[in-house]
Amino acid sequence: MVVAGVNRERLAVRSRRVEGAPVVAVRAWLRAGSRVEATPGQALVSGRLLAEGTSRRSWREIAEAAEGRGASISSFGELELSGVSIDALAADWELAVDWAAELIQTPAFPEDRCAWAVRQAQGELAALADHPEAVTSWAFMDQLYSPHPAGRPPQGDAGSLGALDPDACRRFHRQASDAGVIVSVAGRIDAEAAERRVRERFAAFTGSAGLLAPPPAPAGAERRRQRSVPGDQAHVFLGCLTVPRAHPALTALRVLSVVLGSGGGLSGRIPHRLREREGLAYATHVDATAGAGLDRGRFMVYAGTSVATVERTIESVLDEVERLAADGVTDAELEEARAYLLGREPFRRETARQWADLMAAAVHYGLPLDSPEWVLERLDEVDREGVDAAAREFLQPAGIRITIGKPENEA
Amino acid sequence: MSRPGLASRGSEIAGLRALCAVPGELRETRLDSGLTVCLIGNRQAPLVSTALWYRAGARDEEPAHAGVAHFLEHMMFKGSGRYAAGEIDRRTRQLGGSNNAFTSHDSTAYYFSFSSDRWVEALDIEADRMAGLTLDPEEVDRERQVILEELSMYEDDPWDALDKAVHLAFFGGHPYGRPIIGTREALAATGPGELDAFHRSLYRPDNAVLVVAGSIGDDALDRVRERFEGRRDGAAARRPLPPASAPAEPGRVERRKGDVARLLLALPSPGADDPDYAPLRLLLTALGGPRTSRLAAKLVEDDQLCVGVSCEITETVGPAMAVVAAELLPGVEPERVEARVLAELARLLAEPLSEEEIDRARRILVADWVFGVERIHQQALAVGMAACLFDRGYPERHLGRLLDCPAERLAEVAERWIRPRQSSVTGWSLPE
Repeated sequence: MVVAGVNRERLAVRSRRVEGAPVVAVRAWLRAGSRVEATPGQALVSGRLLAEGTSRRSWREIAEAAEGRGASISSFGELELSGVSIDALAADWELAVDWAAELIQTPAFPEDRCAWAVRQAQGELAALADHPEAVTSWAFMDQLYSPHPAGRPPQGDAGSLGALDPDACRRFHRQASDAGVIVSVAGRIDAEAAERRVRERFAAFTGSAGLLAPPPAPAGAERRRQRSVPGDQAHVFLGCLTVPRAHPALTALRVLSVVLGSGGGLSGRIPHRLREREGLAYATHVDATAGAGLDRGRFMVYAGTSVATVERTIESVLDEVERLAADGVTDAELEEARAYLLGREPFRRETARQWADLMAAAVHYGLPLDSPEWVLERLDEVDREGVDAAAREFLQPAGIRITIGKPENEA
Repeated sequence: MSRPGLASRGSEIAGLRALCAVPGELRETRLDSGLTVCLIGNRQAPLVSTALWYRAGARDEEPAHAGVAHFLEHMMFKGSGRYAAGEIDRRTRQLGGSNNAFTSHDSTAYYFSFSSDRWVEALDIEADRMAGLTLDPEEVDRERQVILEELSMYEDDPWDALDKAVHLAFFGGHPYGRPIIGTREALAATGPGELDAFHRSLYRPDNAVLVVAGSIGDDALDRVRERFEGRRDGAAARRPLPPASAPAEPGRVERRKGDVARLLLALPSPGADDPDYAPLRLLLTALGGPRTSRLAAKLVEDDQLCVGVSCEITETVGPAMAVVAAELLPGVEPERVEARVLAELARLLAEPLSEEEIDRARRILVADWVFGVERIHQQALAVGMAACLFDRGYPERHLGRLLDCPAERLAEVAERWIRPRQSSVTGWSLPE
């Protein structure tokens, strides 16, 4: 369903010359994904089918053309977007733009390929179910987000996948096209020529650029959940919802992320405590803005630990969250985190692929994410009061949800 | 797709060859201390990466202390003369950089990436921890526990667990069969003394290669020299690599884990600088590369038996192994997939690759190289690996062999190495 009040570009084009490797990255993103799908798995299967045949060519002809030039085409359907990503040698940039235009505008959704995409996605779900961390993360995402679509795997489930057919995929593609398309091209190319070619090739794009109805809001769930998983190790996820990408507190939360442990290596309060001080876990991940997009992102901590140390791990993480809410960050931590985030900026713009993704994301979120100056200004504006306020508001210990994946023989 | 004529093919190959150099300007120097230094001047971004490679890996361990190379990699972050435990990561974060390390059978590598105005700290860190480690017993005990958790994580992963079992069966007692992470027993038997002995014998300037890549100034070599010039007595004590020991007959490994069947079929392969290696890699790309490769087209796209298939070949100094991996759809009989994989391997001998298949595999591999050295730190790692294990000319030599390999040579290499009924290990992880 398209909501009245069309207010964005039907076709948004960005291009940029990137010195460095002789490559090109082309992104053609339709602005709808599983957050607006009618049937779980519909966006993923519809997105994948973009490379499975067009009105002109079969999947094999598309793949042979791309692989014959050393290029890779991946078509996808994710939470907010579906579309095509193409990486190729720079000499083939015109072909890459043409392929993107063909796949986005004339997909055929062949019945046999649809059936195979469904079976393949069902197979992926079965294979992932053998990975205990994945199984635990599904339960955690459901606990945080359900009934919002972020609470389920992008594949949906075996049953919902089984209900998909080419008509369902066509319907979704129509709906996604109606939300508009973003095309970005980056690499060792003539940027103006690339933009001209994109506009020529997408001249007949028929999307109407509407805003889609929002998905259902997360309802919240019990504080603690346990799931039985294969293997011998236990997996612990803790976290809560935070803010969308465009929220003014996002930069403060990025700083908090680094203070708590997303800043590379084993620095940060939580990895330092779990791994360096207490030797409880090898794998620990921390992020306070994970998945922040059109909808709310999440604060999340992951640790893989032994069954015997699950409770100690949870206590240590909660203790760190409580300490943060009570005492805030120190000046030194704030400056270190700011320095880290400033230092990381050039690494986010190193390759053609990164630039293509950043430019497209900037359009999608309506934020100048691709401008280093804008990012640096946001970081300069952050002060300790703002960071402490964000910690108190968004990382409340009482709001933390906990999911434990315990081995089957221990659960 | 129409096939280009000979003249056109020649110019296309020349075009691909032009993409095969390491980006930037590469200079190599050997310091009096014995340290090999490779400088790559490349101003594509205001960044500098360092990569320090030691010729020290799992193949250099005493079997009773299997895992000591990887254990030491962890301890390199846990205290040295000027950097207390955890200080290296904190310093890296303060400077907005990143660091990491990895251990293989042949080597161990440490790398940093920083903005170009602050990269020299990486040299201070590397020189300090090359000179000596604290190896505080309490830190060692704590880190051992962390590694045991890492071991549990790998044991729970169906692919990692199968890979470990196939390695053991394929290599027998050869050091390449040793799990890099070690075993619980060997880790329990490894303490500060063993870690220190491994460090003292192999973490020496004359046994290492340092790469500094990116927006470096004219004084980069001076900065390296200031920190790594001191000579040490003696020489690195590397254990000789025993001769290759590919299976003399087909072997089988079966384990039960999870709900999905997974196949890992291992075949012998030559060392990475052997003239047969590049042709074999090309054959395996045509066999198990992207969608139009023979196995992917057959098992995934057409017959729809597997979620995915792939072929990989290890990049080691000595002869090692290549693998065909397949993840099956629920309900598909494993025997059916195994028979088709073997049939496709046999077809590779009976029905050599077409010119079109060869061209496609070449382009895929050249594009892989170009994308694989797009970032400064990737360039540092590629040159470091080459100079550490072979020589800095290795990448171009390897890519040249890919481009210059005629169809007859591919057939000859296939005949020599792809003989699953004579020498292979077929590993299955089957549903419980």
